[in-house]
Amino acid sequence: MLTLGPLSFLQPWLLLGLAALPVLYWLIRATPPSPRNVRFPALRLLRDLQPQEETPARTPWWLLVLRLVLVGLIIIACAGPVVNPATGLPGSGPVLLLVDNGWSAGRDWPARQAILSRAIDAAERADRSLLAAATAADGPGPPPAVSGLMRPADARGWAEQLGPRPWPGDRAALLASIAEMPDHGGLETLWLSDGLDDPTAADLAQTLQRLGRLTVYLPEAGEVPLVLDAPQTEGGDLVFSVRRPAAAVEAAGVVRLAGDDGRILARQPFTIAAESDGTDVALSLPAEARNRAALATIEDLEGAGSVVLVDERWRRRPVAIVGAAPTDSSQPLLSETYYLDRALAPFAEVWYGDLGDLLARGPAVVILPDSGQMTPDESDRLEAFMAEGGVVLRFAGPLFAANPDALVPVPLRAGDRTLTGALSWTTPQPLAPFPAESPLAGLDLPDDVLIERQVLAQPGPLVNARTWARLADGTPLVTAERRLAADGADAGWLVLVHTTAGADWSNLPLSGLFVDMLRRIVALSAGVADATDTVALRPLSTLDGFGRLGEAGAAAMPIAAGTFAETLASPSHPPGFYEAGETRRALNLAPAIGPLEPLALPPRIPTEGYAIEAELDLLPLLLAAAMVLAIVDLLASLALRGLLTIGTRRGATALVLALLLVPVLGGAIPAQAQAQGQSMSPENLALLAANGTYLAYVVTGDPEVDAISQAGLDGLSRVLTQRTAVEPEGALGVDPEYDELAFFSLLYWPITEDQPTPSADAFARLNDYLLQGGTILFDTRDAGIGRIYEADLRRLTAGLDIPPLSPVAPDHVLTRAFYLLQTFPGRYADEALWVMDADETVNDGVSPVIIGANDWAAAWAMDAVGNPQFTAVPGGEWQREMAFRFGINLVMYVLTGNYKADQVHVPAILERLGQ
Amino acid sequence: MTAATLHGRAEALASTLPPLLVEAERVAAVVAQGVHGRRRVGVGESFWQFRQYEPGDPVQRIDWRQTAKRDQPFLRQLEWEAAQTVYLWRAADSGFRWRSTKSTPTKADRAGLLLLALASLLNGAGERVALLDGDSPPGLGRADLSRLAMDLQRTEAGDDSPAAALPPGRAVQAHAAMVLFSDWLAPLPAIESALAAFQSKVDHGHLVQVLDPAEVDLPYAGRIRFNGFHNETTVTLSRVDTIRQAYQERIAAQQDGLRALARAAGWQLHCHRTDQAPERALLSVFQALAGAPAV
Repeated sequence: MLTLGPLSFLQPWLLLGLAALPVLYWLIRATPPSPRNVRFPALRLLRDLQPQEETPARTPWWLLVLRLVLVGLIIIACAGPVVNPATGLPGSGPVLLLVDNGWSAGRDWPARQAILSRAIDAAERADRSLLAAATAADGPGPPPAVSGLMRPADARGWAEQLGPRPWPGDRAALLASIAEMPDHGGLETLWLSDGLDDPTAADLAQTLQRLGRLTVYLPEAGEVPLVLDAPQTEGGDLVFSVRRPAAAVEAAGVVRLAGDDGRILARQPFTIAAESDGTDVALSLPAEARNRAALATIEDLEGAGSVVLVDERWRRRPVAIVGAAPTDSSQPLLSETYYLDRALAPFAEVWYGDLGDLLARGPAVVILPDSGQMTPDESDRLEAFMAEGGVVLRFAGPLFAANPDALVPVPLRAGDRTLTGALSWTTPQPLAPFPAESPLAGLDLPDDVLIERQVLAQPGPLVNARTWARLADGTPLVTAERRLAADGADAGWLVLVHTTAGADWSNLPLSGLFVDMLRRIVALSAGVADATDTVALRPLSTLDGFGRLGEAGAAAMPIAAGTFAETLASPSHPPGFYEAGETRRALNLAPAIGPLEPLALPPRIPTEGYAIEAELDLLPLLLAAAMVLAIVDLLASLALRGLLTIGTRRGATALVLALLLVPVLGGAIPAQAQAQGQSMSPENLALLAANGTYLAYVVTGDPEVDAISQAGLDGLSRVLTQRTAVEPEGALGVDPEYDELAFFSLLYWPITEDQPTPSADAFARLNDYLLQGGTILFDTRDAGIGRIYEADLRRLTAGLDIPPLSPVAPDHVLTRAFYLLQTFPGRYADEALWVMDADETVNDGVSPVIIGANDWAAAWAMDAVGNPQFTAVPGGEWQREMAFRFGINLVMYVLTGNYKADQVHVPAILERLGQ
Repeated sequence: MTAATLHGRAEALASTLPPLLVEAERVAAVVAQGVHGRRRVGVGESFWQFRQYEPGDPVQRIDWRQTAKRDQPFLRQLEWEAAQTVYLWRAADSGFRWRSTKSTPTKADRAGLLLLALASLLNGAGERVALLDGDSPPGLGRADLSRLAMDLQRTEAGDDSPAAALPPGRAVQAHAAMVLFSDWLAPLPAIESALAAFQSKVDHGHLVQVLDPAEVDLPYAGRIRFNGFHNETTVTLSRVDTIRQAYQERIAAQQDGLRALARAAGWQLHCHRTDQAPERALLSVFQALAGAPAV
């Protein structure tokens, strides 16, 4: 092989053919082109006429050059030119391809595959056999092992079916297999490593080095695998930690939390400093959003390591405490709710209020601190709540003891029992170990927890079974009764703690045990109860090596519920969701990944990076060029001999010119279009806007958002033109800093983080616009969840005169300006759309400001041929249709004002509504 | 040949004829308006056709009816009373069936058009026309015109022999007129001997030389191999543009020789290029014919 810079020739001796070119030159030049043939009647008169100067007829120089280039191209093509050729493999023995294809390989798998393919090509050229080995097993079968000798074609098949696996690789097993391998002699090893160290890495490298030559491929510092750990709950936040082997460069990314339906709940950028090996990322989001979380990922990073599955364990449950919220009173420690609040706040959303209000909000758990007798009505409502799966947790206390009622798990004796005091022979009692069948089983028992007073259960046959916790003397401390749903299935619980929630009767509320007990009890609500040990959780959906959640494969095995917590992701149990009945648990990969250290190799091992330039074979290109030249030569020869008539020659010229012009024009048109899209001078904009109806959006400065706004309003214009009498010319981007807004009825304003706050001048201009009847649709584009851009919305609207807003009423004009609508979805389907309180006297009742979060422009956005650009979640195309209907209603609303509110239409609308 | 194919070919042939005739008559009508308008006035109603008797006139030709009305004797004098026979001929060689570009007709087509138009005009003027190489005797009237067109069509197929470029030595009626269409590119002696056969019979003859513009101008350039039509050896010229002048002199010499030859025999030469309007050549030939004295 001959190499000239990036260019190599596979058959360089064929280039000697180029030496024949001068001979060819002489031959072509000496042979004149054959003359034109013409029939001519007056031939007799031409005979023996001699041309005055007989210069020898020669091939024209341009034809000569054409033919020499043509032949040169063919000679060069035959020599097999290749750009960036696969470097030849030194040595002559077999080639071992060793691939780390565990979870860590998903990040840049195509690069690995390119290297593999190159190595196999090189081996094929050198006619060498290959061995293949992958560190991660394909499934719950035998451990990974090195293959036998393969032909390159077989190796290619192996490389194509190889993929990253969502579990860690097993280098130890592979090392054992390599140690047992027969000696092939002069083994050349390419180790496509993930750059992570483990105890056997150095041994493996040494063994391979002993067998022959070893080259290790290492990911670049910026490409090392990242691991997203399962989150910790800290207050209202979910805290994820991102780990990596310490690398010299900074790494940045975005952690994204998505719900079951794929809706994005929160995004949080993170940066790992250079030389650091990780960082924490806190996602703060409301309880409702958190309860929908299913999947956390590092955005745009493939691989199972960057995905964390979130199950009920991380969900915050709303807990309703009947009573007043602990105030900043001077004596908070006397309030029972203070202790409950402190214990529940880390993992649950706590509400306060009276029972009726709280039940209406739909809590998971209702806690009743010491309370007097229940009214029958309250009692009935709590029973109904429990029948739906709710948990009612009662605490005893003086009032409770004095006024026993029926809402208890076990019959109680009247009054309370005092275990300490001057008149008592007993001493305060510690807790006995929890019964094995109790949901509280397994909690640590601090020995300093003492119960001083309690209410006593009436001894009876059911008391023992219903007891979850006892005192050391055997009297029940926590009793519970399962409540049944209407159809007889198990539903919620009624739990009674036989002492107070405050520190009056015991010091239990002061201990960590109290928090753990509450956590367990809260977790009981709504089917979160752990399945019993014997139940097997079967795989529901599992991750693949690229971190994509899909149907569980047949090889994934069920996990016994009792051992689930200790189970690590492995070929038998790929990471994913496992379920048994109502229970759904997530098995995450991160616990199976030990500490991440950069790969430490023995010295003197050559390493390479994954970034390679693809090999480019020039043979087909050169032959195609030669073919084109041959056709040109043919046409030229025909023309010289007069076999192409003038007419067709002109046609051919036109054709060639047209072919040349197409790319030029093709390049010019988008450039022109682009120029149009760029900012216009205010005068031109005014001229344009005054001559037609345009929908306008505020230019945010973020090119992506602006492109979506443009495409969205263009799409809406198209739909408006199709369906209504409004025929907008299109969309225009405006900047309130200097553009005149008077031409636009509607201004779409997407909120972004980096948008500069408008100047006082611009605010004045915007206020004018609103006062004179303009309408601004603010879109926070975050689906109302996470309130990512809420602060930016406040910042951007700080100087605007915004009237009091309220959610759109069911009879608002927006709901019937063109279509009858009750929801206003965009790309997301958040309910809330805020408008000014109706005031018919101002601007025809049109709200100057409409605020929502549904990312409407993305739902409206169409490409040039009318295909939607973004998926609407969760409702798909129907939701998009509804989004367009909202858009049409909105434009109708801003254009026609309260026309549709006219009473004339009410009967017809009522009839259609079926009322 | 079966009746069906014969019929089919006859149909095809017939279908091409009317357009040719129509075109020929259209060309002829243009010329007729310019020259012959008055001749169509009814014979016998105009006085100018009667002449006062003069001494020496044959007594038999006195029109007694007219004489009886007047004091002087009158005699009837008829112009063109006896129709003249005009022989028409078009060269049939394949070299005549050639054109240099698609924008002009072949020389043979143009010659055929002129021939038919001339026949139509002569027919209208009451002359008898016949093809020199046709089988039909000279005739008068529309039917004869059609037959003449068909005969002309029959000679359409090219003939590669050089003899086809010259008129055949056929027996013709005495005092006939003769119009011969060809490119007259054959050697002058050959033309002279071909025309000698008609010398004694023909009162006035006309040679019409129909040439393609390329044959006059030689518009070619560069290296060209010229092929003939009569199995001649080819001529390859490396730079044709340099001999254009010499060629044009030669073609002029050929025309001069032809003109001299015609004059010696009492004939006239008309030159026509296919890129010129056919009406002009037709007018020139017809006027020359009409200028001939009536019997």
